[in-house]
Amino acid sequence: MNKISILSAFAAIAALSPLTQANDLNINGFLSVGVSMLDNNDVTLDGFDNNGNFKNDTILGLQISKQVNDKTTVTGQLVSRGSDDYATESAWAYVNYAASEDLDLRLGRIRVPFFYYSDFLEVGYAYDWVRPPSEVYSIPFSSIDGADLNYRFSLGSWDTNAQLYYGRYSPSGAGVDLKNFTGLALASTSGDFTLRASYHRLEIETDGTGSFGAGNTAAVAGVSALKPLLNPTNDAAIDADIDQIAVDFALTGQELGFYGLAAGYDNGDISAIAEYTQGFADTPFFTSNTTYLVKVGKRFNDLVGHLTYTATENELDSGLEGDVQKALGLENKQNSIIAGLRYDYDTSTALKFEIQNHDEEIVNGAKGESAMLYTVAIDLVF
Amino acid sequence: MIKFKPTLLALLLTTASLIASAETAVIVAASNGNGTIDKATISKIFLGKTKSFPDGSQAVPIDQDDGSAVRESFNSSLLGKSSSQLKSYWSRLIFTGKGTPPKQLGTDAEIKSLVSSNPNMIGYIDSSAVDSSVKVVLKF
Repeated sequence: MNKISILSAFAAIAALSPLTQANDLNINGFLSVGVSMLDNNDVTLDGFDNNGNFKNDTILGLQISKQVNDKTTVTGQLVSRGSDDYATESAWAYVNYAASEDLDLRLGRIRVPFFYYSDFLEVGYAYDWVRPPSEVYSIPFSSIDGADLNYRFSLGSWDTNAQLYYGRYSPSGAGVDLKNFTGLALASTSGDFTLRASYHRLEIETDGTGSFGAGNTAAVAGVSALKPLLNPTNDAAIDADIDQIAVDFALTGQELGFYGLAAGYDNGDISAIAEYTQGFADTPFFTSNTTYLVKVGKRFNDLVGHLTYTATENELDSGLEGDVQKALGLENKQNSIIAGLRYDYDTSTALKFEIQNHDEEIVNGAKGESAMLYTVAIDLVF
Repeated sequence: MIKFKPTLLALLLTTASLIASAETAVIVAASNGNGTIDKATISKIFLGKTKSFPDGSQAVPIDQDDGSAVRESFNSSLLGKSSSQLKSYWSRLIFTGKGTPPKQLGTDAEIKSLVSSNPNMIGYIDSSAVDSSVKVVLKF
């Protein structure tokens, strides 16, 4: 078919039904491939070591979506991650019902709007970094099973999306069940500016088995074992306090969560983003976690140079609870400086170079070391 | 910049006349019920933030082919975004299932022909290509 007949075919279809285009089956994909090397094996950073790692940044995603009728769309996104031995997971698998032009209801598996980049977390092409910094982007899962509401409204020049979600995450083998997962994310844009605020909370239940449950059971036992150290005089009142802390360390039935704030600016030439999170938990098993990142970028035609500072800190509670946390090595303070270059090599491919200096000021209660991570990656969307 | 040198002034005037001659017209079918449409609404239609015209009827935006001069002018002057910003904007929406970019359906002649025969479509062409088969809702 030559160009004219393709166009007249389009015109004919378009004339028959304005909806035809919206009814297409959309297939899109993304692929990221990265090679990284860390220069110090005593530092733990995103699973890298001092041999070239070709796997951890490699991610393949395939997405299909189809408008089933006027109001209903189905979307599925299958993601296969090198860091997970290419096991394939549905990151999105939902049916969307457009109740009105401003209100969408989704049911199924959804990506949780934890952070600024969460919706497109693994689409490397959509941001400048090879991967969002793990100091802030530290949650080891990104999707839950549940439902959400997206409501859009405008105030002056600000367009806002409010997303309210509810769901549950119960991975097999981890011995943990995250229930009554609830959260709200507000994102507003006006011209080149974006502001975002979010709140997330859940209830945790563990059966004491699996990778996560066993860790919690060991920590509870560890608290009781600290009595000789923290209470050498065998004071009955202090013993009772330690017993209570051991009870509090058991996670089942406890509530935890965090809130986040972010602000972004991008005028196509200069960009900046700042993101901050503050965790909270009923249980001293989780120390108070504060994280943030600040990134600036500057575009030179097809090149973007960017610089990021990011940090995470787990602070101890005060008093005896803090002494227990300290003895169990729950104190952490780490930061990274990331300098990178992104080269837009064509309309759907980006080549990235990154150097990250990661400093473990305090790691598991002890002084750590620092390391450099070198990465070359390529990101495609298709 | 109060005292222009004559040459600089001449240069500015030439540039201004070049810009004026390359006006872009946002068009709908002659049978479309909407009068003029403001820049903010057109921007929302082309960025997938609304799916309707001001009169409530369905709006289907169509883009010119990548790389056309009219498209560059539409992106930078009306949407206020560079092509790299737009690519990143759409990749973020596509992979959340929240939207797909407008279809690219040709240049001035093809866009005009499609829009003229479909009251739901909205496109943009060089204003010199406008004729009575379409209605201009905004010119810039």
